[in-house]
Amino acid sequence: MRILCVLLPHFPLKCEILRNPEIGTHPAVISCGAGSRKLVLDYSPGLDGLQTDMPLQQALARQGKAELIQADVPYYWSVFNQILDGLETRSPLVEGDKLGITYLGIDGLQLIYPDDDRLLKGVKEVLPEIFVPQIGIAEGKFPAYLAAGYSPPNGSKTLTGDISTFLSSLPCDILPVSMKSKSRLRDFGINTLGQLAAMPEGPLQSQFGPEGRRIQELAGGNDDTPLYPRLWEEVIEGSTTLPSVTVSLETMLVAMEGLLSPVFARIALKGLGISSLTLWTRTWDSEHWERKIQFKEPVMDMQAAVSRIRRVMENFPQPGPVEELGLGVTRLGYPRGRQKSLFREVRGKDNLLEDIHQLELRQGNPQVFKIKEVEPWSRIPERRYVLAPTGR
Amino acid sequence: MVQDTGKTLRAGTYRSVNLPETVEVEEDASGLPLAVKTPRRQAVASVEERWRIDDEWWRREPVSRLYYSVCLASGHRLVLYKDLIDNCWYKQSY
Repeated sequence: MRILCVLLPHFPLKCEILRNPEIGTHPAVISCGAGSRKLVLDYSPGLDGLQTDMPLQQALARQGKAELIQADVPYYWSVFNQILDGLETRSPLVEGDKLGITYLGIDGLQLIYPDDDRLLKGVKEVLPEIFVPQIGIAEGKFPAYLAAGYSPPNGSKTLTGDISTFLSSLPCDILPVSMKSKSRLRDFGINTLGQLAAMPEGPLQSQFGPEGRRIQELAGGNDDTPLYPRLWEEVIEGSTTLPSVTVSLETMLVAMEGLLSPVFARIALKGLGISSLTLWTRTWDSEHWERKIQFKEPVMDMQAAVSRIRRVMENFPQPGPVEELGLGVTRLGYPRGRQKSLFREVRGKDNLLEDIHQLELRQGNPQVFKIKEVEPWSRIPERRYVLAPTGR
Repeated sequence: MVQDTGKTLRAGTYRSVNLPETVEVEEDASGLPLAVKTPRRQAVASVEERWRIDDEWWRREPVSRLYYSVCLASGHRLVLYKDLIDNCWYKQSY
């Protein structure tokens, strides 16, 4: 399968520059991870001795003057998703593998783009200039990735026919295999893909197991990994900024309830429940926390959803005081079996909530509130309780 | 995917309860409250308790308050505080 790979080098940094152009004027390091396990996610080009995923302490020891930026991963993904949306106008098969690495299936596109030049022109048109893309075309994902990696900035490289000459001098470190295997290859004195390709299959398999076969196939430029195109799915997203930073679980749950309420109002009419949702929070110093929750049975009511969210938030504590939080409902589903009440009065509360909701819609803002205890232990009196709209 | 409307996100629907209210206070030379306008001027008969709160010092708007539980000449009790950031007086139930 012919694959076109689009590499957007230093993608997180470019996203930060997109938001704040001043960052592009001086060296910067973007870090991610929680607590003491902070790693380098990206850095300004030209900073010697740095590489992604290296410990932040080590990076700062080498480049102490660089500005430190906390990674805003949801923002990078939202920018990346916009780029993928654009690329989907060029090919229906688009896989966003990692931030800044995209694969497009281009078989059959010759009916629209008679040659590669026109296809490349079409792809570049949908990529924002700031990202300086490198594009590669080859048979299979790995060769296309290599072609992109070795193409000039804003340029492209196409690998056709026998690519063994191109691959032979490339280092083994570029293979998408485990670090353990790469380290063992070095120990055996095998440093280039050419050396690997020349080896018989048997010894490689005996030393590396199933990965040995894959290593040799990749070294020969053969990659049959299938393309996993993005699937269409309806996502309901919402976020809110808290009135003040908090470590209180109750405050966060009140806000989560507020975000979930319109979701339930929207899906309940269709008889749907929430099968899967993603929670995220951002702390006052921009640290990101995210958890995905899968429900065995789609949840149909707020109480069940909040009780599960509470358990998750208790088991995975926040990295610091939370300033902003949000959720995305990623999958909806129909309940397998649900018994309705025979008695009308059981639905009395639902009717009341519906009336309150109607009143809110008519007046344009919440009209009926209830007092909720959020930080009863707080030394600051106005933090202890909040008025939350009823029915949310 | 639901399109982003671009609206600034905020917790507009949640309201804090027991927010402090500004109040006019006459102070003596040492900063202790002498009289309070609520809205009638009332002399402070005694300061029963005093405590200080310093919090969120790491934020742009830290909290630094000096609270006084006072007994007014009329016999009413009132909790006042002086905001040490903006030097204004507020009343608030504690």
